[in-house]
Amino acid sequence: MPDSKPHPIILGAVLAGLLIIPLVVRDEYYLHLFIVSAIFVVVALGLNLIVGYVGQLSLAHAAFFALGAYVSALLFFNLKWSMWIGMPAAAIVTAAVAFALGWVILRVRGHRFVIITVAFAEIMRLVATNWVDLTRGFMGLPGLQIPALYVPGIGAVDVSSKERFYYVVLAAALLSFYICYRLVRSSVGRAFVLVRENEVLAESLGISAFRTCMIAFVVGAALAGTAGALYGHYIGFVSPDLFNFSYITIMLIMVILGGKGTLIGPALGAVVFTFLPELLREASYYRMVIFASILVIATLFMPRGIIFPLVEHLVPRRWRKGHDRAA
Amino acid sequence: MLDLAIFGQHLLNGVLIGCAYALIAIGLTMIFGVMNIANFAHGEFYMMGGFAAFYLVTLLKLNYFIALPLAVVLVVVLAVAIQQIVFKRLRDAPVMTTTLVTIGLSILLEHVALLLWGPQPQVIPNPFPTRPLSFFGIYTTPLYLFSMAVTAALIVVGHLLIQRTRMGKAMRATFQNREAAALVGVRIDRVYLYAFTFGAALAAAAGAVLGGFIPVEPTMGGVATLKAFVVVILGGMGSFVGAIAGGLLLGLAEALGAGYFSTGWKDAIGFFAVILLLLFRPEGLFKRA
Repeated sequence: MPDSKPHPIILGAVLAGLLIIPLVVRDEYYLHLFIVSAIFVVVALGLNLIVGYVGQLSLAHAAFFALGAYVSALLFFNLKWSMWIGMPAAAIVTAAVAFALGWVILRVRGHRFVIITVAFAEIMRLVATNWVDLTRGFMGLPGLQIPALYVPGIGAVDVSSKERFYYVVLAAALLSFYICYRLVRSSVGRAFVLVRENEVLAESLGISAFRTCMIAFVVGAALAGTAGALYGHYIGFVSPDLFNFSYITIMLIMVILGGKGTLIGPALGAVVFTFLPELLREASYYRMVIFASILVIATLFMPRGIIFPLVEHLVPRRWRKGHDRAA
Repeated sequence: MLDLAIFGQHLLNGVLIGCAYALIAIGLTMIFGVMNIANFAHGEFYMMGGFAAFYLVTLLKLNYFIALPLAVVLVVVLAVAIQQIVFKRLRDAPVMTTTLVTIGLSILLEHVALLLWGPQPQVIPNPFPTRPLSFFGIYTTPLYLFSMAVTAALIVVGHLLIQRTRMGKAMRATFQNREAAALVGVRIDRVYLYAFTFGAALAAAAGAVLGGFIPVEPTMGGVATLKAFVVVILGGMGSFVGAIAGGLLLGLAEALGAGYFSTGWKDAIGFFAVILLLLFRPEGLFKRA
């Protein structure tokens, strides 16, 4: 069973390492990459629930991410609601949309499912582009801000600097990781894997494949929506470009190369594949050629991905495992 | 009052675009029917056909009418290579694998094109006079008429190849029942290769012919793939005749939709139709259930 419970000392060291990043990394640009990484950890963990755990290839995930960004941005733009309301609202709206979409499409499988998710994403893109009265079309929604955080006992804390916003997105990433961890280790998580591996067997045991897939689909979409709201407010600008196919591609690369169906794999995948494209910025056309080649080769020859097997290989077994619960 | 000349104009444009959609979609539907793969990289053959023709005409200064078939030949060579290297391994692979690989391949080809040829749209120079022709108030150009004749002819030729040749028969047999076809001596490997190459050739031809008035650019492949998916699902996945009818239907709907409603929203109709059809009528619009 992948993702065994980590050793408490390792866990503490990793957490401490994550917490001191803004103190060590003084370069604004690298800090920016850490922030974007953390946001994409949330996205990748969500996509991983659908692609990795219940094994349905959804190409609508980037559309949920963009939808979340738009929901929060529109609330800010029209009602002056801050991100602290916009973010949960984004999660709720994307979850509701995912539920409605899932209600009709989780009854079909295979190519039909994949193509419907593409069609849905395209419709969302067309709405964002053409409903100019609401979304301002290609002009997008500029001027989004990161609001102050009200801490009981202290009062308003400004978190808009990169050093401080890092902790906001880190909290989101850790919370998402914890939610996914609890989810996949619960009976629901075991149902995920069973539905992926053998749907007929799952149904014969009284596990509804439809319900199981729906849980993964809705939770995954809510995570994407939350991340979208964070991303929109952090970048400060939301436009139909968020619906570009390149977003879903990079999200899939994070999950597939990270190691679908594990938690640490896609999370690390999100970090690696946020940094790597930026470090290869000089060769902007080459980098997509490289990534696309890696995606093709990894899908064909390395079904477990690259990063998770690497972690398994590099980190000694006794470090990875505290009191192991064999599943 | 509906102006008949304008209506005719939209109709003419719709038929031309529809023929092009059909040409691209035929390959997609065949690969789907025979190999059971939703090929997200299919539109890239259309893009490469356009670029091949453009560079044969501009760089090598070849005659336009020699460059077009030669461009198709070049893309066919590449398609054979892609089939042998990649698609051969996708036989019997799960949907997740085939889709991820073809998406990766699509991005790979698009960005190789960007790298080699740059992002700027290119129009293939052609020898036709640009002076418009007019019939009953409907305007067109010689290039338009030429393109329409070529695409229509290719569709007819494709149909005859599928219906009348031994290989066409083998393809249809494979589509109906692969194991039974293999049992009576159909060489499935070869059917895969021919179906894939044939589809790529038709898409490349569409790119080369339409490149005279629809600018050729690296991103056009992805757009073409999505349109072709809409067509394939309108016509029923795997159906050759369905792809032709679906292509014409989408072309006409878009031309009339853009003419009388809105250019921005016209694409949404196709995608809504796709969702509804896949849910309730996966066999397509035209087949009797």
